[in-house]
Amino acid sequence: MAAFLAVFVVCGVFGLEAWPLTGWRLFADARQPVQVVWQAVTVDAAGHEAPVAFGDLPAGFHGNVQVLKGFAGLAAAEQAAVCRAWADAVRARGGQVEAVRIYHTVTDVSRRVGKRGAPPARELRWTCTEAGVAPA
Amino acid sequence: MRRLEAAARRAGAWLFAPGDPRRLAALRIGLGTVLAVRLATGPYLELARQPAALFRPISFLRLLDAMPPPTVVVVLQVVAVAAAVLATAGVAARATLPLAWVAGLPLVAMTSSIGKVVHNDVLLLLVLVPLLPAPTGDTWSLAARRGRGSARPRAGSGVSPRYGWPVRTATVVVAGAYFFTGLAKLLHAGPAWVTSGNLRWVLYASSDAQAAPNQAALFVADRPWLAHLVALATLALELSFPLVLVRPRAAWVLVPGVLGLHAGIWVAMGLNYWPMAATVVLVLVDWAALADRLGRYNHFFRLKKSHRPTPDTSMSPSAPG
Repeated sequence: MAAFLAVFVVCGVFGLEAWPLTGWRLFADARQPVQVVWQAVTVDAAGHEAPVAFGDLPAGFHGNVQVLKGFAGLAAAEQAAVCRAWADAVRARGGQVEAVRIYHTVTDVSRRVGKRGAPPARELRWTCTEAGVAPA
Repeated sequence: MRRLEAAARRAGAWLFAPGDPRRLAALRIGLGTVLAVRLATGPYLELARQPAALFRPISFLRLLDAMPPPTVVVVLQVVAVAAAVLATAGVAARATLPLAWVAGLPLVAMTSSIGKVVHNDVLLLLVLVPLLPAPTGDTWSLAARRGRGSARPRAGSGVSPRYGWPVRTATVVVAGAYFFTGLAKLLHAGPAWVTSGNLRWVLYASSDAQAAPNQAALFVADRPWLAHLVALATLALELSFPLVLVRPRAAWVLVPGVLGLHAGIWVAMGLNYWPMAATVVLVLVDWAALADRLGRYNHFFRLKKSHRPTPDTSMSPSAPG
């Protein structure tokens, strides 16, 4: 038990992740008002975009923030597989998906418009279709 | 060097001081119940059907290419929940509690294998570790009841170091978890965690990400002084958790404080940390002392009832004249 306590303390002090032992980094960073967020949207046959409602998808899809953050580091085949998984999940819920687009958005949450933040600046980075993933 | 040795001796004496078997049993019952509820209601079957492309494994799940298949997950879930229920009831607790923990571990790991580490159940799992080899079922259990008839343990009966160290180790884990959470803030952000607009930006971003603006989050974020105050209170609360190790009465402040913290996070950000909050309450409250106190009240009321004078009906207006 002494070893367990020792490893628990070492992980806590040095912020090491050895799950279930953890570095307890909960909201540990100081946030800035300007925040980079990645956004995935589906595109239907008419060209209309709709944000992927990850919260409405099954639990296995709820890691979207981290998956999107690491999207650039994935191999092309892995990127295509991720887009396909999201598109299939949206289709399974009755959505029409011709393509998945991934945007890099920059939001300044300190700029408020009523009770909401000002619209973010958006830049298209990737488009996923049946043919593959094309960088913008 | 001598000071270090003396400090280690004092820590050892504190950790292995005698403890009440009922407090340990209360941890088995409370934590076992939380574990059973979490394992019974977790989204493990949904996670098992996750496309492999989205799998972001942690820890030992890195040995797999995808989430464990649904059949394996169902078997693990049934075994883990059944074992947790039996452990809670105190049936062969020395076998059933470790079985529940071991079968539940991969299930909880699945919830952290979608990209982010979910701390919700981690504290529960870690606090249970010292209970796994401990004699948690010696009292307040079906096994003890069968062995002893209906006799109830009295205050102070059976007090022993073997009942004390698991509870104190669990207390160290709870105190450490919150202290290290505060320490991580200091190490990664420094005083800016409190003095900058950090909490305002967190709350604005959280509100903007929700379907409708969150009034509680906006109420704090719109008032910089309040955001600084809440950030300071949060950090102070987390860093002061080790106090409970030297001054158990600090729990009277820390427990309501942590309940308020988690309730606030739930209301303002929609993040439900009830298993963490429940774990803190279960570990830091001295349930044996509470049972004694309630027992004394019951005894007092029973005495009062039995010594109540018979009503004098002669003065009653309805009494026959």
